[in-house]
Amino acid sequence: MTDLAVRYKRKTPRHEIQVSAPRGAVTHVHLPDDNAKAHFVTALLKARCEPGEELEIFGEPAATAAPKRREKLRMRVGAVSPIVGLMSNLNAWENIALPAAYHGAPPLPEVAQFATDVLTKLGAEPDYFFARLPDELGLLERKMASFVRLLVAAPEVMVFDALEDGLSYAECKHVARFEGEYRARQPNGTVLYVDTREDS
Amino acid sequence: MLQALREIEGGIQLSLNVAARLPQLRRGPILESFLRQVYFTGVTAAGGVIPRACGLGVIIIAVMINMLDADVDLAVKILLLLVFREVGPLAAAIVVILRTGTAVSAEMAMMRVSGQTRALRYLGIDLYDYLVLPRVAGCMLATLALTFYVQFLAVLGGLVLSPFIIEASFWELTNRLFELFTPVDFFYSTVKSLLFGFAISACCCWHGLNPPDLTNNAVPKVVTKAVTQSMMLVLLINAVFAYVVFGILFFGLVKANA
Repeated sequence: MTDLAVRYKRKTPRHEIQVSAPRGAVTHVHLPDDNAKAHFVTALLKARCEPGEELEIFGEPAATAAPKRREKLRMRVGAVSPIVGLMSNLNAWENIALPAAYHGAPPLPEVAQFATDVLTKLGAEPDYFFARLPDELGLLERKMASFVRLLVAAPEVMVFDALEDGLSYAECKHVARFEGEYRARQPNGTVLYVDTREDS
Repeated sequence: MLQALREIEGGIQLSLNVAARLPQLRRGPILESFLRQVYFTGVTAAGGVIPRACGLGVIIIAVMINMLDADVDLAVKILLLLVFREVGPLAAAIVVILRTGTAVSAEMAMMRVSGQTRALRYLGIDLYDYLVLPRVAGCMLATLALTFYVQFLAVLGGLVLSPFIIEASFWELTNRLFELFTPVDFFYSTVKSLLFGFAISACCCWHGLNPPDLTNNAVPKVVTKAVTQSMMLVLLINAVFAYVVFGILFFGLVKANA
């Protein structure tokens, strides 16, 4: 696990972001608008930049990274973001378990136990929660499912993209616990809150 | 023209990718998706196919026997050549296009439009592994099973009805059927129905993953295109296959038996 060093530059509209944070830190990034935010988060998640963009992640330029290297960089970053939604034809449990089932680790019983624990701490009723399809879940519950799915993989950098968007005051208290849960799972992980400037 | 070439290239790439990734079927979620596809295409479609397949066999045999004033030999040849070899696989393919082709293309297009395919990539899940491979493999297997089902029921329907139209008993017709039946008939329809299943699912997956734009309006366009092209592909494969197997291999077009 290394310190976080991200440099992202976009030509049109012109903006540049530089984030340096020691591992285990919490950092906030504010972008001019939703479009810029979406581009930044997408570039981070893809570990790849589009034409007119430059990206360095963990100090490595993404443009010149070999596909395998980029894949490794990508797996170190995870995001709870509208960009990374749930699969609409899978229920909440299948969504949470999908990456683990596909990659073969961690074992599914372990995932089930872990997800049950986290959801209980977040105030959800796991059995009822697991059985529902994403369309039957509220916005907060969908964010919870995305978060738990990501937490299973325990990425080195956790990006919270506009986490409180669309939530009521009471619901915001629930998502405020996400950071603590992530910290419990990944004590040395870096948390990156990404939001637009208007909201800051 | 450019679009057509792009589609052909995409179809070939998709087919090669699927072939290369077959071992991935062992993975849990992919196997589960494959079994769901087999269940959806093969099992749930079967219930509706029973009366239709029986009806198909009965109608074909009744019309042909009546029109051609057929005897036992001709009635059985009609069953074998028309119903078993041609209509069975084609009827199954049509059922698969209408039920599965539409569903697969619409589901894939919706996933693409709503960003779910992008989410899969971010989770490190390969789209070919998780979305395309189980659908193509499941559809092939289910098309084969449906073909056997349709063939069996249509031939049985024909055998049961024929004694009411011509002067021949059910057992007489059945015995003659087994005399004329050759392994070629079986392999021919097996390979053909596997190819049909492959063509339908690959075509629908490709169109689903490559919508003309990323709006909800693209979904019906994708379904229309996928269904039309699947139908065309099935007819093309049927024609080419009939010509290659019976026109070249046996030097006699649609000849049932010596």
